Amino acid sequence: MSESIFTVPVGPQHPALKEPENITLTLDGEQIIDAKIRLGYVHRGGEKALENRTYVQNLYLVERVCGICAMAHQLCYVNNIEALLGIEAPPRAKYIRTIVAELERIHSHLLWVGVAGHEIGFDTLFMYTWQDREIVLDLMERITGNRVLHATNSIGGVRRDITSDMIPLVKKGLAHLGERVKYYRKLALAERTIAKRAVGVGILKTQDAIALCAVGPTARASNVKRDVRKYDPYSAYDEMPFDIVTNDGCDVAARIFVRIDELEQCARMLEYAVDHLPEGPIKVRAPRSVPPGENVSLVEAPRGEDIHYCKSNGSDRPERYKIRAPTLANWASMRKMLIGGSMADVPIVLAAIDPCMSCTDRIALLDSRSGESWAWNYEQLKRYVQKRYGE
Amino acid sequence: MEGELLRHLAKKPATMQYPFEKFQPVTGTRAKIEIDMAKCIGCGTCVFDCPAFALEMVGKGLTCDMKWYPMKCVYCGQCVESCPRSAIKQTDEFTLANTRKEELACEFKRSREE
Amino acid sequence: MDLLGLLVYPGLMFLLALAWFYEWLDRRFFARLQNRYGPIYTGPHGLLQPLADFIKLLAKEDIEPAAVDKPLFRCVPILVPTLPLTVLFLIPISGVGAFVHFEGDLIFTIFIMSLLAILAFLGGWSSTNRFSTLGGLRAAMQTLGYEVPLAMALIGPGLVARSLSITKIVEWQASNGLWIAVLTPIGFGIAVLAMLAELEKIPFDIPEAETEIVAGWQTEFSGRKLALMRLALDLELVLAAGLITALFLGGPSGPIPFIPNIVWFLVKTTFVVLILTNLRALFARFRIDQMVSGSWKYLVPLAVIQILILQLLLR
Repeated sequence: MSESIFTVPVGPQHPALKEPENITLTLDGEQIIDAKIRLGYVHRGGEKALENRTYVQNLYLVERVCGICAMAHQLCYVNNIEALLGIEAPPRAKYIRTIVAELERIHSHLLWVGVAGHEIGFDTLFMYTWQDREIVLDLMERITGNRVLHATNSIGGVRRDITSDMIPLVKKGLAHLGERVKYYRKLALAERTIAKRAVGVGILKTQDAIALCAVGPTARASNVKRDVRKYDPYSAYDEMPFDIVTNDGCDVAARIFVRIDELEQCARMLEYAVDHLPEGPIKVRAPRSVPPGENVSLVEAPRGEDIHYCKSNGSDRPERYKIRAPTLANWASMRKMLIGGSMADVPIVLAAIDPCMSCTDRIALLDSRSGESWAWNYEQLKRYVQKRYGE
Repeated sequence: MEGELLRHLAKKPATMQYPFEKFQPVTGTRAKIEIDMAKCIGCGTCVFDCPAFALEMVGKGLTCDMKWYPMKCVYCGQCVESCPRSAIKQTDEFTLANTRKEELACEFKRSREE
Repeated sequence: MDLLGLLVYPGLMFLLALAWFYEWLDRRFFARLQNRYGPIYTGPHGLLQPLADFIKLLAKEDIEPAAVDKPLFRCVPILVPTLPLTVLFLIPISGVGAFVHFEGDLIFTIFIMSLLAILAFLGGWSSTNRFSTLGGLRAAMQTLGYEVPLAMALIGPGLVARSLSITKIVEWQASNGLWIAVLTPIGFGIAVLAMLAELEKIPFDIPEAETEIVAGWQTEFSGRKLALMRLALDLELVLAAGLITALFLGGPSGPIPFIPNIVWFLVKTTFVVLILTNLRALFARFRIDQMVSGSWKYLVPLAVIQILILQLLLR
């Protein structure tokens, strides 16, 4: 009976989503036959706000693009500005940046495992992983002063040093986390209910992953061996021993395994970094005004490749700053993953790309009649609004 | 998994019964700031560098007072670094929630000694 | 008619108090398995929390969307707690004999429990909300999965005691000093699993899957209606635990004669509730197609085998 086709809106308010986006699913019974994605609900005008503040103030605004990958965004920003200024952070600062970035990756992946568990109804896993995440958050607070939104970078280095009394805490935390990660890996393999919900669900074949520009663990779970830390190393990653983790499952289970295995790689890098921390200053002096120029910097955020573009004009404020967050790249593959699945799979498939809607929303204008798309700056937008709505 | 569940029965819960149990803040945590007005020279760098526009200078130069808004502050600590005289200090007092708006602006006044 | 017994003990008041007590127990145990506290502030040790939730919901605004099917939408929350209450009088609580008993009341109990599933479907259907419709459909499909093995597993004790009256089954266990669970362990396991599906608890809380379809068939109910539905869930828990205790664990009777029957009943039903909560914490949620196919592939053959074994044993 064709009357069984109906549309269900997932979002903007939905328990499966931690942040609002809208996906309109067309269902035939429980099967999904079409998905329409509408983004833009968390657009906050961040890029505009960055143009109105000095480079020093922007350090803290940029990290608030996303709470979970704050360090990644701030690191990308700082790399950008340092490249424009032509200065380089000292080696100790680079190592400290790597340490905090990897700790952040651990906390983000543990958070994700918990959220994925919650989406498939496994609240116990959620409680356990978030309890282990507390170890990382306490370490972060000890090292940087805050649990999330660490603000540990400054232009030219880092703001706080890792003192010798913090290092045993880091090692103890890593030892405990290592045990727990082994347990979670065993659980992901052995627990049949997880396998039933994750294996064969949300398939994204390798050629689709490449064609639709998937990034991060989503792409690596489809056997695309790409990681910014290897092909365009920044901070101290060219000296760190680690492997790119891939999995050829192409489904949600593969994404779970990729993230759990990446946790092990993070622990490996942290051990190395903490043992080989070079001596020296933690920052160099940076001028407040940036000479005119343009720069693009890439960073491997926990969710994938994060691209920042900056245009400076010689003053102490950026002229234009553009952020392409990793989740935006992964949305295109979402449609491919959803169609053909069942309604019950929607939360876990959504969660499997580790969506961070706050990162995603930047404005893009599209003329639906001509199909032309362009971007406006503030003046053009203001003129359009005034013309449209009068004074 | 069942073994794991039963083990957790025996452990003390991970949740802290705040506010009945006191919470000890971690050393070095970033919370309330305090400005030592004896050291402040009224340069205004902290006001200029604050990303949240939470600091305000009342008056000018060496006779100024400072006002700080806990509600606007993001507790980043940039003002601590920007101050050329290290007059601003960040403490670990984090229980700043309040129900009265009047108490939401902290004033740091100079001691007027004639 | 024993009016005091009907209204107070072991009747209405006692059953309501027991329902709220089991919700508290379930929440506390579930929380401790996850290394957190659960309700601890309301009343001594948080015991009054379910009652507080009930009173709070009664006081909230009862929003009725304009497009719902009003008679059905209003009837469902009233019927949902009434049906388990009806059947609870058939279960022996304070003595080996139930308040009301007749030959065949086991079949009547199974019938009322399937009515509950139909009510879930009707609740979702009358809400005319996409998520509720999906939830109602899933409730109906889930019934297809668990009804047959549940009925077969519950008939096992009837075969052993040669009677279809719950009271007679309990009397058989009391007089023979043997729990039927020892004779039909597979049936006991199937009954517990199928009861999880009937109570819509994880891993079978598919009709009410919070992260997928908001609250499934219960989405549109609010205020007083929601209070009654949550009360119904708790009463169903008492019913399930009481039924399993009566049929498999010997009901309110025990080897030591000095301890009153009600204590045995409470101890055994608490044990069953703890098992159900443990299973709730142990698994993730199944998909509806996996649940139905798994039930027909594994539970039904096992139930049939159990009945065959019983027939051989009883020769």
